[in-house]
Amino acid sequence: MAIGDFAFLIPLLPALAFVLTFFLGKKLPNGGAIIPIAAIATSFVISLLITLNLLQNPEEVITQSYSWFALFNVGVLVDPLAAVMLTMVTFVSLLIHIYSVGYMSHDRAQSRYFAETALFTASMLSLILSDNILQLFVSWELVGLCSYLLIGFWYQKPSAATAAKKAFLTTRIGDVMFLAGIVLLFADLFTIFNGTIPAGTYILRFDEIFAHIPEIAAINANILGMEVSHITIITLLFFGGAVGKSGQFPLHVWLPDAMEGPTTVSALIHAATMVTAGVYLVARTFPMFIAAPDSLLVVAYLGAFTAIFAATMGIVMNDLKRVLAYSTISQLGYMMLGLGVGAAIGAEAVGVSLFHLINHAFFKALLFLCAGSVIHAVGTHDMRQLGGVAKVMPITALTMIIAAFSLAGFGIPGTSIGFSGFMSKDPIIESAYLFAESSGMWLPYLFSIVAALLTSLYIFRLIFMTFFGKPRTDYGGHESPASMTIPLSILALFALVFGALTRTSFYHFLEETFTNNFVNVDIPALAEMGGYHLAAHAGEEPMLVLWMPLIVAVAGLLIAYLVYGLKIVNMDNLVSRNNPVYKLLYNRYYQNEIFTDFFSVKVIYEGFAFASRSVERGFDWLVNWISDITIETGESVRQFQTGMIQTYATTVVAGVGLLIILIRVIMEVI
Amino acid sequence: MIPVELYIGLAVIIFTIGLYGFMTQRSGIRMLMSVELMLNSANLNLVAFSSYNADLTGQVFALYSIALAACEAAIGFAILMAIFRMKDTINLDSFNVLRW
Repeated sequence: MAIGDFAFLIPLLPALAFVLTFFLGKKLPNGGAIIPIAAIATSFVISLLITLNLLQNPEEVITQSYSWFALFNVGVLVDPLAAVMLTMVTFVSLLIHIYSVGYMSHDRAQSRYFAETALFTASMLSLILSDNILQLFVSWELVGLCSYLLIGFWYQKPSAATAAKKAFLTTRIGDVMFLAGIVLLFADLFTIFNGTIPAGTYILRFDEIFAHIPEIAAINANILGMEVSHITIITLLFFGGAVGKSGQFPLHVWLPDAMEGPTTVSALIHAATMVTAGVYLVARTFPMFIAAPDSLLVVAYLGAFTAIFAATMGIVMNDLKRVLAYSTISQLGYMMLGLGVGAAIGAEAVGVSLFHLINHAFFKALLFLCAGSVIHAVGTHDMRQLGGVAKVMPITALTMIIAAFSLAGFGIPGTSIGFSGFMSKDPIIESAYLFAESSGMWLPYLFSIVAALLTSLYIFRLIFMTFFGKPRTDYGGHESPASMTIPLSILALFALVFGALTRTSFYHFLEETFTNNFVNVDIPALAEMGGYHLAAHAGEEPMLVLWMPLIVAVAGLLIAYLVYGLKIVNMDNLVSRNNPVYKLLYNRYYQNEIFTDFFSVKVIYEGFAFASRSVERGFDWLVNWISDITIETGESVRQFQTGMIQTYATTVVAGVGLLIILIRVIMEVI
Repeated sequence: MIPVELYIGLAVIIFTIGLYGFMTQRSGIRMLMSVELMLNSANLNLVAFSSYNADLTGQVFALYSIALAACEAAIGFAILMAIFRMKDTINLDSFNVLRW
């Protein structure tokens, strides 16, 4: 038997671990952590073997499909795209689970924690493995559920319960759009098949969807007088789902609040199991996006805007984890931008974006776990109370600095020397340049460059404020136990060298995603249909363009060093409530005020309250009216009941008389 | 042979008297007596037609009806006794509790 036949075990084992840990965890040491760790480790080994197998022969992807009900199936699809995601998710999740043993050791609800994280991982793996959009959606919702459970893990805290609710409701907006997209897609495919679908054809499977893209694109809808192709509507609805899940503007508001869960959960959400789902969805349905006019432009613009928008807020946050949260939003913006610039570079965009996704998973998981290590040791999130932590926690500090360099994107262009983040972020910015050059739209490129500067600035601000200088408060602390530092070291190694080692083979590998024995999509032809002009060749940009990302990264480091390391500028004047820019950033562009206080509470909630009050009043009036009429009729009619036998007898005689007369009349007429 | 129309005419007269009595009298006993009149007018009809058709069924029916009338009268008087015990009167005007 080939290893591919065991692919279905990858999500199944963690799911099984969830059940076992949930019921037996309390009786085992460490909340039964060993069960999910063993399950995910096995999944990781299977994923790795499958990936290595697939590397030899990337055109022979693994597909298994079984009928589920009616026209739908459950199935497994491991193509290069899924394979790299599987390996990354199982690997990062494994390390986070091992780390959690130490991190969660003081928590009484450990077994619940490990059960939920196992289910979280299982859902994400099943999402990645899906060979049809419906199964993907089911897993997608499961991921949403688990995020709700884990963000609200400490549900005794009102802030955690609120954050969980916010995350659930916000992503739900996207989920509804995604579902609407699926329904529309199904309806279109049904029409294309004329309602007669041959047995064994599952119309929501990716190969069927991709094969019918031209027909879907030919269906037009009329929206406000504009002819819009159905494929554009479907892809934009899908992207709406991705915006919710991957925290893109304007549905990113849940992500910073998601910090209320344990830090390991944040690491899991930010690196492996949740926010990457949106990017994965867009990458998975990339042939649809590239065939849809304007869709990729929306992706590119929104991604670039999110990248710079979130980065500006990252600069002023004082909470360790919040800086990282905004950093995640910003980096997800980069990934979306990477997919969006597929408008210029075609299918290569999937590789570019996914490579950043993988590298980001490594260094962001590392950043979060380091932050968790610091928080675990000193017991505070607030960077203003820290400083000089490097002396007490050398391993944590070192690994976090590596992650920071990786995030900021340090490396030498044109060579394979550089941190992982550089290897993946650089191509995105370069692709954005190509996109700008071929389409004349420079805004995404400008955004991405400025965001790179801001990224470098906020992450080194964090490093200088936390690890260097003199301690600002007496926090006391110690280096974390080995179960925490070993995962840190492994992740640091990946953040350091993974990008450089795998760069070329990775792109080459992912190129096979849409041309293999399962799907065979002609991307350039589809791009023509979407009205995109693919750039002829990459890698011949001017020197300045190649060096620009590094220049801004170094600039960011220098500014952070001068301001927060050497303190040559007195920040007190700048950092005050009187400075309108600082105030705007510190209050996060008043998003909470606009989205939550105004839009959600005032507009939506008050609107519903008013509507329900009006409806209630209407119903009350109707019900009262009916009862009043009934009572009045009864009052008048009951007068007939005199209770005197003579009255009744008279009525009977009169009635009989009347009846006789009536019958006579009727007889006469007939 | 007396023609059957006369019997029917007599029965109509008796029935009308009974009905008038039932509708106008207030005393419970008088009302019961009026009911008896109406019943007997019906019996008279039965017997008349029985004789006219030379068929005994009608007369048998009349016997049944008389027996039933006796039962009805017994129950009716028993109820009137009960009412009398309660209200010291059998004037049914003052006994209109079954109303609104």
